[in-house]
Amino acid sequence: MSAALLFDILVTGLITGGIYALVALGLNLQYGLMRVLNVAHGEFVMLGAYATYSLHTDWGANPLLTLLVTGPAAFTAGLVIHRLLYARVLAQAEAREALESRSLLLSFGLLFVLQNAALLIWSADLKGYSYLGTPLRVLGAVFPANRVLAAVVALGLSVGFYVYLQRSLTGKAIRALMDEPEGARLVGVNLTRLHGVCFGLGVAMAAVTGSLISMLFELTPFIGLPYTVTALVVVILGGLGNVVGSLLGALLLGVVETAGVYLVSSDIRLISSYAVLSLILILKPSGIFGR
Amino acid sequence: MAASRALLATVILALLGAPWLASNYQRSLLLAILADVVLAVSWAFFSGPTRYLSLATGAFFGAGAYATAVIGGRLAWPLPVLAGAAVGAAMALLVGLLALRLRGPYFAVFTFGLAELSKHVLIWYETSVTGTVGRLLLAPPSATVLYYTVLALAALAVGTALALRRSRWGYALIGIGEDEERAETLGIDTTRVKVGTFALSAAFMGAVGAAMAPRWTYLDPQVFNPLVSFQTVIMALVGGAATVVGPVAGAVFLGLVSELFLLRFRYVYMLALGLTLIAAVLLFPSGLAGLRRPSARGTEA
Repeated sequence: MSAALLFDILVTGLITGGIYALVALGLNLQYGLMRVLNVAHGEFVMLGAYATYSLHTDWGANPLLTLLVTGPAAFTAGLVIHRLLYARVLAQAEAREALESRSLLLSFGLLFVLQNAALLIWSADLKGYSYLGTPLRVLGAVFPANRVLAAVVALGLSVGFYVYLQRSLTGKAIRALMDEPEGARLVGVNLTRLHGVCFGLGVAMAAVTGSLISMLFELTPFIGLPYTVTALVVVILGGLGNVVGSLLGALLLGVVETAGVYLVSSDIRLISSYAVLSLILILKPSGIFGR
Repeated sequence: MAASRALLATVILALLGAPWLASNYQRSLLLAILADVVLAVSWAFFSGPTRYLSLATGAFFGAGAYATAVIGGRLAWPLPVLAGAAVGAAMALLVGLLALRLRGPYFAVFTFGLAELSKHVLIWYETSVTGTVGRLLLAPPSATVLYYTVLALAALAVGTALALRRSRWGYALIGIGEDEERAETLGIDTTRVKVGTFALSAAFMGAVGAAMAPRWTYLDPQVFNPLVSFQTVIMALVGGAATVVGPVAGAVFLGLVSELFLLRFRYVYMLALGLTLIAAVLLFPSGLAGLRRPSARGTEA
């Protein structure tokens, strides 16, 4: 393998991985913290993408600036969904497994609702626009500018979130809740409110990722599920509730996947994701970076 | 009691006589509903008592259907159905041995992934190895033969579910759902009971997939449809998965609704299905995982 190809795979992989990181972080926040396995996560990626598409084509908004709309809107939607659905289920005193199964079913219901609402609004036709398609030349290899931009923004937001977790009071409360739920409650962390905030943040991360990928790919209402699967693979790879694990896992998966696509065929992408997911679930459910 | 027996006898007679009594349209509707009954009942006799939420129904159904498409032309009629059952059961044995150690949502996610994984592996295999994108079904059996095949499967599934409930095996399943470690301590071979029942329910799903396949003259890997998995769960949930009547009633109800709306208002129907699922989870807390009486256990890892 030539050095140029290797470099190409590596950078393309890291670009893909950077986008995965943000989606996965959102899912990890929901699953790691409150054991809500939100399989509708990817649907929020899809909705964010369509929101940016509509804002750009109908209103002429700059795609990058739409993040300022889609992020806060998704956060609010997440708060409402948490309050109306998940908070009710989680408030019922039951065995944890039963709660997990029921919140999983809620998410599946949500997936159906969101996907078909999108089909009713935008139809199943491919939608897209072009933005910043100009090629960037780096050390002899060529990368589209929009991909580099999307990856840089996604990685920046991921790292920013990590810093927020380390520094801010809310961030500390979230980390306390991940490590020691009972102890956190004893020192006065408001569980329901913080769960709502985390769910909202998770949805916002998904929607912002969607806004970014709408610059890169054409959209259908069915693009959500593969992102859910990818995020699940990353979260399980990196360990539940492990933020750094998710970041590393996303970059790793991005590079491995890109190598598979370059060296074998593009059909292999989804198969390998599911295969990796199955293998980790069977061999080491706590994740390879897990505690 | 006498009245309900008379009603039951009437229903059975009507079902047996349907090929002569009903119109073509009514008969094909009845066929679809009976297939749903098989899926919902066989899903419930495993997932109901054990609380393992399986989303593999679509995978087993698809495997049975695709098996018929591959070997169908070469075997005399009831044999493809048996082959479908065998393929479903074999797949469940493999998956069960690997995945039934996983609890909670991990098992559900794994089984959900199974349908998608099978679909994509099959698409990849068909396009790159056999060079086709699907299979034509030649010389399918007559509509009457198909109807009685699925009716027999439905009767067999209900009979199996009833027999399981009264057996030691059935109590072992409930014991696993209540507390798996305790069941193990009490001397139940939990792996054998779980995997065996999972395979039995998958055999029914594969068989009904095989029996329904001739309805479509052309089959492609899209027959591995996650919607089948979800519809089955919703049917059992809406009816109540703890009983045998529940899944049957849920299947009849949802079968009729989907017949009325699925083709004409596909997206609205699916959206409503999602809302139904959400409502079922919120309104019947004992509906799903607490399927029977609420357990006395507190929260534990």
